[in-house]
Order: sequence, then C-alpha cells, then structure tokens
Amino acid sequence: MRGKLLIGRSIDTGSWVHGVDPRAKLTAMLLYLIAIVAVGSWPALGVAAVFSLAYMTATKIPLNYYVRAAKPLWVLMVFIFAVQCFTVTEGTVLWQIGSWTLYSGGVSLGLISASRMALLVSFTAILTFTTTPGLLNQGMAGVLKPLEAIGISAQRLTLMMSIALRFIPTILDESQKIVKAQAARGADLRELPWKEKGRMLVSLLVPVTVGAFRRAEELVLSMESRGFQIGAPRSEYHLLVWKRRDTWFVLSFAILAAGVLAYRFLM
Amino acid sequence: MAITFEEVSYAYDDGSLWRSGALERVELEIRPGTFTGIAGTTGSGKSTLLQHFNGLLKPTAGRVRVLDAVVNAREKAPKMRELRRRVGLVFQFPEQQLFEDTVEKDICFGPLNFGMSLAEAKERAKWALSLLGLDESVLQRNPFHLSGGQMRKVAIASVLAMDPDIIALDEPTATLDPQSRAELAALLSTLHREQGKTVIVVTHRMEELLPYADGWVIMKNGRTLFQGTTDALVREAAFLEQEGLAIPECITLWNKLAAEYGLEAEKPCLTPESLADRLAEVLAAEGGAGEREGRRA
Repeated sequence: MRGKLLIGRSIDTGSWVHGVDPRAKLTAMLLYLIAIVAVGSWPALGVAAVFSLAYMTATKIPLNYYVRAAKPLWVLMVFIFAVQCFTVTEGTVLWQIGSWTLYSGGVSLGLISASRMALLVSFTAILTFTTTPGLLNQGMAGVLKPLEAIGISAQRLTLMMSIALRFIPTILDESQKIVKAQAARGADLRELPWKEKGRMLVSLLVPVTVGAFRRAEELVLSMESRGFQIGAPRSEYHLLVWKRRDTWFVLSFAILAAGVLAYRFLM
Repeated sequence: MAITFEEVSYAYDDGSLWRSGALERVELEIRPGTFTGIAGTTGSGKSTLLQHFNGLLKPTAGRVRVLDAVVNAREKAPKMRELRRRVGLVFQFPEQQLFEDTVEKDICFGPLNFGMSLAEAKERAKWALSLLGLDESVLQRNPFHLSGGQMRKVAIASVLAMDPDIIALDEPTATLDPQSRAELAALLSTLHREQGKTVIVVTHRMEELLPYADGWVIMKNGRTLFQGTTDALVREAAFLEQEGLAIPECITLWNKLAAEYGLEAEKPCLTPESLADRLAEVLAAEGGAGEREGRRA
C-alpha cells in the first residue's frame, strides 16, 4: 500500500532543485498553477510541457515517478475529457450518434484539459519529492507570514498542515497492519469475493479512525510535555537563507505564467 | 519439515527508490512438533521472518515451504486460506492486531472465517480465554479499553482459538508482568508437549524460554547467525556474544562452571534448581574440597 502511494514522500537525489529555498518553491508552484489554468491552446500547452519536463529532468528523479504521481487521478482526467467532448459544440463534426454529435473542438479541448490536469499533478509532485516535510513546513510558515497582519496565525496553519502530512504514512501503515491482522486470521482481501471485500474495507474504517484519534491525543500530550505552546516564540533548526538562485527560480515561473497569460488574452 | 526456507531474501518496497533489505539469503529448517526460540538484536529481521510463515509476506528471492504450501519468489502466490488456518501468527503489537469492537467478536473472527458456526466459535472464544487465564467478563468489553497486558492476552487467545498447528508469536511477553510471562511460557510449552503444536517464539528475553525451547535461531542483519539446539547454543555462546547477542546469565554461569569442573560434554543445566542439584552431585563426588568450592560458585 505504501509502496504505491507517493504523496508526501521526498526522494533525495541531491540535485540543485532540492537545494532551492522552500519558500521559492511554494511561490513557484503558485505561479505554475496560474500558468496551467491559463493554458487554453496547443502552443501554450506545448511550452508548458517543455518547461515542466526541463525541471523534472533537473531534479534527477526518474520520470516514471512523476507519471506514478499523476496516475491515481486518471479517472478524473478521463471524466474531464468526456465532459468537454459532450458539451463543446465548435469545430467540424467528427461523429454523430442519434441526437448527439462529437465535434473536433470538443476533442481538442478535452485533450488539452486532461493534459493540463496531468501536468499540474505530476509537476507539483516536484514540491514534495524534492523537499523534506520539515523544510516544506518552514517554507509554508514563511509564505503565510503576511497573513499574520490580518490576524491569521501562520504557525497554527502550518502546524495543522505538518501534522496532517506527517500522519498520512502513519495512518496508511496502521490500516495495512489491520489488513494483515485480518489476513492472518483467514480474511485476505486479495482472496475474498468483491462483496466481502467491500464489507472488510468498511470494517477497517472504525479501527483506523479510532486509532487516528488515539494517536492525536498522544501527540498532543507528548508535545505539551515538551513545552510546546502555540504562539510562543521558537528557535528554528534550519535557517532559511534566500539566495540569488532562488530569485531566478521564481522568476522563471513568473515568466512562464506571464507568457501564457499574455498569449491567452492578448493574441 | 514444518518450515523450510531456501535462500530466502526479502526487501521492503522492492523495485523502488525506498527499497530496504530485511532478509538476506536466509536458510532455515524447523521440524514439526518442536519449540523454537528466535532471538537477535532489533532490526535483525525477526518480525519479517515471522510474516513469511503464513504467507503474509512473499519472498523477493528464494523459496519458502510451510507444511504443504510452497511460496516461490517468482511465481504467483497460491491461495493462503488453508495455510493461515494452520499457522497462527501473533503480531508484535497487540493493539494493532485487534479490530473488532468486542473481545468476543475479535476472538471469533478467525474461527468464523474458517467455517465454524457462531455457537462453536463462541465456545472456542471462552476456551481460549480460559487458557490465557482471563475472566469471561472481558468477552463483552471493547478490546481497546483493556490494559496492555490484557490486550496482549486477548490477541494471543484470538490466534489460539483457530487451533493452528504452528503457532508463531512475535515478542509475546513484551508487555506482560513477570507472573503472566512465566505463565505464558508454561502455556506454550504445554501446547507444544501435550498437543504436539509447533511453537515458534521471537523473544528478547532468552532466559524465559531456555527451559522449554528445543532449538534456537539467532538473527543478525537479516541473516541467520546460528541455528541449532539449545545445547549447541550454550557451546556457541562465546561466539554469539562476540556478535553482539546478549547471552543470558544462566548460560554464562554454566559455561564458567563447566570449564571449572570439566562438565563441557554434559547437557547444560540452565535452571537454578537443576544447576544446584548438579553442582551438589559434583561437589559430593569431589568430597571435602567441595564445601569451599560450593561457596565460591
């Protein structure tokens, strides 16, 4: 189960992208998101794809890991493609069944939307692949700092996020252990008929949820016993230092976003 | 053979960047009807080894034979249901093994899966609980509200209720009080002697099992460092200690005394009673000098 899930696991290959300031990476991802949302034509998609591939290669992480990161969302991509095919009525008629007509514009737009989705998911995986959860949190705290001016505690938000991220693998491990315990006593998920499988998965929910609450309680106690207090000043283990490279990194994304936006709205 | 390992290797997350090897070319033979202890430092692969016994883990290389089932690294795993009935596995942390909302349901889970009627399964649950010395009143309680020791006992009961031929336990005495530890070791020994079960126990407290175990497996870094009888273990103690294994004091003491009185060829006496008796005999045979020597020992 864990082997298949890639969310929130960092892969250390020591590339220069790994060393980029997490705040720069977070800002860059936001710019990338803007760029991808603005992509609406084949040339723009092509540019975004080349840009993404270049950065993916620079991380030195095998490309198939990015493919695997996007894989769990294939149903959504197929759905997006289908919706475009059904609703768009531009371009030439490709196919006609009864009252429904498939237009070339629909297929084209559907393909663009699905690829956009794939690019977005696999590319943003760079963030978690190249940044350890601790650094990611620190980056998050840095990016959210301006919010404190309007009375939102950045520390509270990042703490919440770090715990959530931290617990994904733990809860997965825990459910796997229960699956194993059930298998050891004659109820192997792989060998059961579909109906039974569903019943077993539901029976898994209760102990896993109970376990998560128990863990949360233990965590609170252990943090409090070590003097953690929300809002209290804390020293950092790693100090984030903004370098010139980080500026260039963000700038490259800003140029991409600006370019895509300009192409979309000015041409 | 009850269990045979042929050059078995296992790696977690095999074929990915997070691959971590846990077993390396392990060779193992456990005869049916024996009581085997498995020891070794933490992280030496004991728990991973155990999960191969009932096919929960499939080796990434090599072949595992358990009873009449064969699990081969390269082939698709066969149906494990029958094997799982015959091989009961008690996990290291009982709270991760219990998942139902009452103790009774939890213990009945295995028997029901293997085709027992509900009434039979409930009978079994009561029987298994009584074996572990737990009161029937816990049957209707939530297993997660029990104490650590009680939880451990329920976890063991839930496996014994399936009446397996091979019982494998992962550090079963870890959270028990001294009295329960001794009782559990005695219970396992009874199951082994009177019902002919094959019992395999992973432990960090070798001394607890020494009176009962016929054979030992010592693991280090995913390999078997030693496999043999308890007597052989006593003879190899110096080597194993060198390799970082904590040798129980009774073995060290026996080896010291054996060297002093020339008893190396004998069957080691590892309980205080048997050692005292044996020493008394030796000293009586030596006559007058015995009194002084006895005090020293």
